[in-house]
Amino acid sequence: MKKLNDLEYLKLNKLQALWYKLQLFIFAIPGWFKRLGLKIWNLIKSFGLGVKDETLDIAHTFTKGNWAVKLSFLIFGFGNLYYGQILRGIFFLLFEVIFIVYMILPSGGGYWLGKCNWFQKGATIGTVQGKFEYDYVYDTDVWVAGDDSVKVLLYGLLTVIFIVAFIWTWRLQVKQCRICMDITAKGKKVKSGKDDLKSLLDDQFHKTLLALPLVGILAFTVLPIIFMVLIAFTSYDAAHDGYSNLFSWVGLEHFNELFNFGQGGLGLAFGEILSWTLMWSFFATFSNYFLGMFVAIMINKKGIKIKKFWRTILVMTIAIPQFVSLLYVSKLFTTSGLIGSALNKIPAIYNYLDVNNFVSLWDSPVVSKILLIVINIWVGIPYIMLMATGILMNIPQDLYESSKIDGASSVQQFTKITLPYMLFVTGPYLLTSFVGNLNNFNVIYLLSGGNPIKGTAGGASIGYTDLLITWLFKMTLGSTESKYYMASLIGILVFIVVAVLSLIVYNVIPSTKNEEDYK
Amino acid sequence: MKMSKILALMLVLVMVFSCFVACKKEDDNNNEDNENALAGTYNITMWVSEKEGVADQFKAQIDAFELANPGIVINAEIEGVTEADAGSKVVADVASAPDIYCFAQDQLARLVQASALLAPGKAASENIKANNDAGSVAAASVAGTLYAYPMTSDNGYYLYYDTSIISNPDSLEDIIAACEQNGKKFRFALENAWYTASFFFATGCTSNWLMNEAGEFIGIEDNFNSPEGLVAMKGMKKLAQSSCYDSDADQFTDAGAIVTGIWNAGAAAEHFGTNLGAADLPSFTVDGQSYHLGSYSGNKLMGVKPQGDAKKAAVLSLLAQYLTGEECQKQRFASFEWGPSNKNAQASEAVQANASLAALAAQNEYATPQGQIGGAWWDIAKVLGADAKNAADDAALQTALDNYDTSIASWLEIPPEKRYAWTVIGSVGGTGWGVDFTMTEEPAGTWTSVEINMTAGEAFKVRQGLSWDNNYGQDGVKGGADIVVETSGTYKVQLVFGENDSVTITLIPVA
Amino acid sequence: MKKENSMKKSLLGAKASRRLSNGIIYFILVVMTVVWLFPFVGILLESFKTETKMQTGYLFPKEFGFDHYVRLFTETDFLIWFKNTAIMGIATALLQTIFVLAMSYTLSRLRFKGRKALMNFMLILGMFPGFLTMILIYKVFSDAGLTMNMAPLGLIIVYCASSGMGYYVSKGFFDTIPKSLDEAARVDGATRWQVFYKVIMPLSKPIIIYTILMGFMAPWGDFMMASYIVHENSAGMSVAVGMYEWLSRTNMNTHYTMFCAAGVIVAIPVTTVFLLLQKYYVEGVTGGAVKG
Repeated sequence: MKKLNDLEYLKLNKLQALWYKLQLFIFAIPGWFKRLGLKIWNLIKSFGLGVKDETLDIAHTFTKGNWAVKLSFLIFGFGNLYYGQILRGIFFLLFEVIFIVYMILPSGGGYWLGKCNWFQKGATIGTVQGKFEYDYVYDTDVWVAGDDSVKVLLYGLLTVIFIVAFIWTWRLQVKQCRICMDITAKGKKVKSGKDDLKSLLDDQFHKTLLALPLVGILAFTVLPIIFMVLIAFTSYDAAHDGYSNLFSWVGLEHFNELFNFGQGGLGLAFGEILSWTLMWSFFATFSNYFLGMFVAIMINKKGIKIKKFWRTILVMTIAIPQFVSLLYVSKLFTTSGLIGSALNKIPAIYNYLDVNNFVSLWDSPVVSKILLIVINIWVGIPYIMLMATGILMNIPQDLYESSKIDGASSVQQFTKITLPYMLFVTGPYLLTSFVGNLNNFNVIYLLSGGNPIKGTAGGASIGYTDLLITWLFKMTLGSTESKYYMASLIGILVFIVVAVLSLIVYNVIPSTKNEEDYK
Repeated sequence: MKMSKILALMLVLVMVFSCFVACKKEDDNNNEDNENALAGTYNITMWVSEKEGVADQFKAQIDAFELANPGIVINAEIEGVTEADAGSKVVADVASAPDIYCFAQDQLARLVQASALLAPGKAASENIKANNDAGSVAAASVAGTLYAYPMTSDNGYYLYYDTSIISNPDSLEDIIAACEQNGKKFRFALENAWYTASFFFATGCTSNWLMNEAGEFIGIEDNFNSPEGLVAMKGMKKLAQSSCYDSDADQFTDAGAIVTGIWNAGAAAEHFGTNLGAADLPSFTVDGQSYHLGSYSGNKLMGVKPQGDAKKAAVLSLLAQYLTGEECQKQRFASFEWGPSNKNAQASEAVQANASLAALAAQNEYATPQGQIGGAWWDIAKVLGADAKNAADDAALQTALDNYDTSIASWLEIPPEKRYAWTVIGSVGGTGWGVDFTMTEEPAGTWTSVEINMTAGEAFKVRQGLSWDNNYGQDGVKGGADIVVETSGTYKVQLVFGENDSVTITLIPVA
Repeated sequence: MKKENSMKKSLLGAKASRRLSNGIIYFILVVMTVVWLFPFVGILLESFKTETKMQTGYLFPKEFGFDHYVRLFTETDFLIWFKNTAIMGIATALLQTIFVLAMSYTLSRLRFKGRKALMNFMLILGMFPGFLTMILIYKVFSDAGLTMNMAPLGLIIVYCASSGMGYYVSKGFFDTIPKSLDEAARVDGATRWQVFYKVIMPLSKPIIIYTILMGFMAPWGDFMMASYIVHENSAGMSVAVGMYEWLSRTNMNTHYTMFCAAGVIVAIPVTTVFLLLQKYYVEGVTGGAVKG
């Protein structure tokens, strides 16, 4: 399309300008994907180059290194010790010793790795199946425990991670030896253990600060996610729980089940639930956002008294646990509840329910969806209100003053100053809150429980208001089938969809691009 | 100090820690020398109904058990867990399940399949079978083996109604009319498969699950999707589309009539006061013919978790027998109106005189014993109730039944005969582990496949029922490694089940 | 001259219209107040009803009584649950604050290789349905003895371990503190640790209190993880899990009003703490949200 210059653009009337902008936006989309593709390609390329460089560097280190450096290819940290970095040397050595001991222990790494039968289709995870044996003395069966597939897979996975860490550490200490060698060759002093410790509070302070949170995230988020990804390729469900019955590798079999788009198939249910989930997330996020902002502006308006009181009232909803208030509210809207019975007396609503044979408001797919969004406004407004209050205070007042002199109405002030400013600074927040709403378990589970019922999928009944997260919950913990493998498969798919979408959005939002601008 | 080092160190610590934990666990199962018989101290955990007071009564009963069995000391930790969920919670983590737990019978199959139940010993089984009613014994058994201890025979539903407004509790239509007139609710949880089935049983429909000895469901004989089923749907529609209908039968607000069970006896008495009426379920009329509503009759059972220690297992079995015995069942009836499964307790005067139990007994003539039911059925069948409510016409009712059939078919997927049959699967013939080659049994114990073109280096295994649960690989090892083809050619795969469970797999070249 | 006149006129008109618009706003605010307070008043009134059944058909108790409050403390494990939750709340508040502050401070004010990648990485991680990870965590905890009656300890670990991923608000707060402060201190020879400890922390009271507050409140509202980890052991339950059991089929008609009474008691500490620290909460969240 033809790009207009500033002068031409200004000549357009409002509608044309809007149309022009829309066109710009749509035409930019292929560009994003191209850039995204390029980014990924560059990532792969730089990875390949990195591997090549590393290999060359290792070879170089080995040929050029002195005997101490060469020895540290076998004995971790030897080079560090040789060059006087006692602390580092000991750490590396200790790591190697622990690794070797762990791997050769009778119930150590080698043992667990051997039991995993990695990805052999049809092979069980764990090798010993628990069973009953009859005891004649006491006239009773006795359970002879076998392997627990979950445990076997977990320790197998941990061992793999440990091996990766081992290789990485090996590379690291080899590199450090060489650096030490180079520094000494130049006649300078290498960093002592004391220097290392000192730098942890200064140059390397970020490592000190990040250590704890990152270990937590690795152990409690990353590791379980990798584990759940593996589960998608196994038969882990209630009938194969790992302890009583070992589960096995099944390859890509479950993908067929998921992509069955026939009646009662998972594919259809997945599509329907995903579309409502996205819809819910959209409405929940933006209704809260705009209404919350509106409330904040109202309270902030000059001349409104007891501002603090109004805010406090709203904020109280944050303080009271949701499972109490939401459960109470959901009962209010049932047929015999206070509000439900009152609403049922309104002819329009009564007739609507009557015509469609709905007993309660929660029985109607449409009405229950609307109710959820409305009640969610009740839940969400206070958060946005607080946040918007702060942002409003931060908008330079002279902007408003000067716009007023130019004769701007308050509506214009809102659309030209307040809104753009808000959108600019809260862009990332909108994204996180959109993702948060995708996984908003509490509101749906406590209010509608996913009802009204629509059908079954994945061994659990699903309703019109089920989000993916509540469906996953019903599929795993809420049903006797407990199809963990299917839940993890869907989890992965959702994750991919959402991650790709958000990464695109995230890289388009102006405020994240110019992180340093606003300070 | 590099970040990586810290990370690595942490990882090591985590590893070492988990390793210790893993090692420690294995030493736990040391048996102690048994002195005289079963004497000793036992720490056990129990899950019983979460109803108020139940746990306390069990505590008292355990004390009585200790008195009756000197030398046995039991330190019991008792938690209240609703019997409807206990099974699925046990299955979720069998290893740390309680030693004794109470559950509703529909979870039995799942629990047996998960090896979460320790079957009573031979003597104990005889004892239980002799003292409990036949229905409850059947409910606690899978394929003829008793797996649990019957605790109640009252898990059913019937009608509570307001005598001041309902004069004829025998007719569904009259009850609906009376409730509509008086602005009262008729509470009936049609969107819960346990109750949904009521209308289908009324018209003579049945739904029986087929199960093998391991507690696995292999098929269903179900005729809900039939002309009778359509009649049931019509009856259900009549109630569900009435203005007095409410599917929430766990609360009594405005209730003129409510279909619920013995667990709400107290609440019913409080709600209806002197106007309380209890009766068997009413009949409904479709096309001039009347059908008496059916119901599920069921039991609550007590289960013992499998133990590594035979002595403890024996003590737990003894305790479970005591707790489900005549005396304890009578006490539970006295405190909570739980209907006993023990024959002697059933015969006692107090039980005979109870109005709610009388209504239940009357309804029991029309009840279907709740056998073993595949867990997904509950979710599939309850949709019918919702469908009846939303149906605009009879065609919609038929569609609902068709959907029901489809859902069940897609849940079961594989017909029973295929579950038994063996197949060859692999990369052979360039199929990339995507195709199961048929095998036929001739004679019994020998399975031969169709002709397959194989290339050297391709691999395969044999499996049963299109699933990897039962499969054989190299050297006839269960779950063993893939069998690799050495020489290219056309072969038939032969699987022979020999003596002593030996399995041989051979490739027979086709000339 | 003419202009002045028209301005005066419009000022007068503006005054009237402002009064009108203020009136409308007051009206809306009053309506909102009623709507927002309604459930709380409702729960409060419910808890004073003497009957035990679920009767949402009327608002005011037919007979006032404190029966449920008495029963709560004499007949149930509520006190244990309350204690568990309070311990969890305090421990989570303290530990989580360390995690979150460390993470957000680093990402906001220190520049190092891989910072942007780390932020993208955590953003993506946050999109994986969190409770699926619980399946593994439960197994590990069950092995390590951190479930059942030890569930509070296990839950503290769960709440804190990954809390670094929720760094957004406090990073936003740190972003608003001028960089020149750091630079001046660095020129004076302060180490990064000293900058963190002596320069920035004293300025960060609102966000610290905000983080503490959020950490304290988390265990009171969490149901899903808590009920999974505790595996039906009353001694290890939090209030949310324990109270939820009262709404089961067999308990609903005997415990509903008690549930409301317990809800009122649970709301007291949380609301008190919240209202006391509200000022900091607002400062923290507004400072933070500016850069979300």
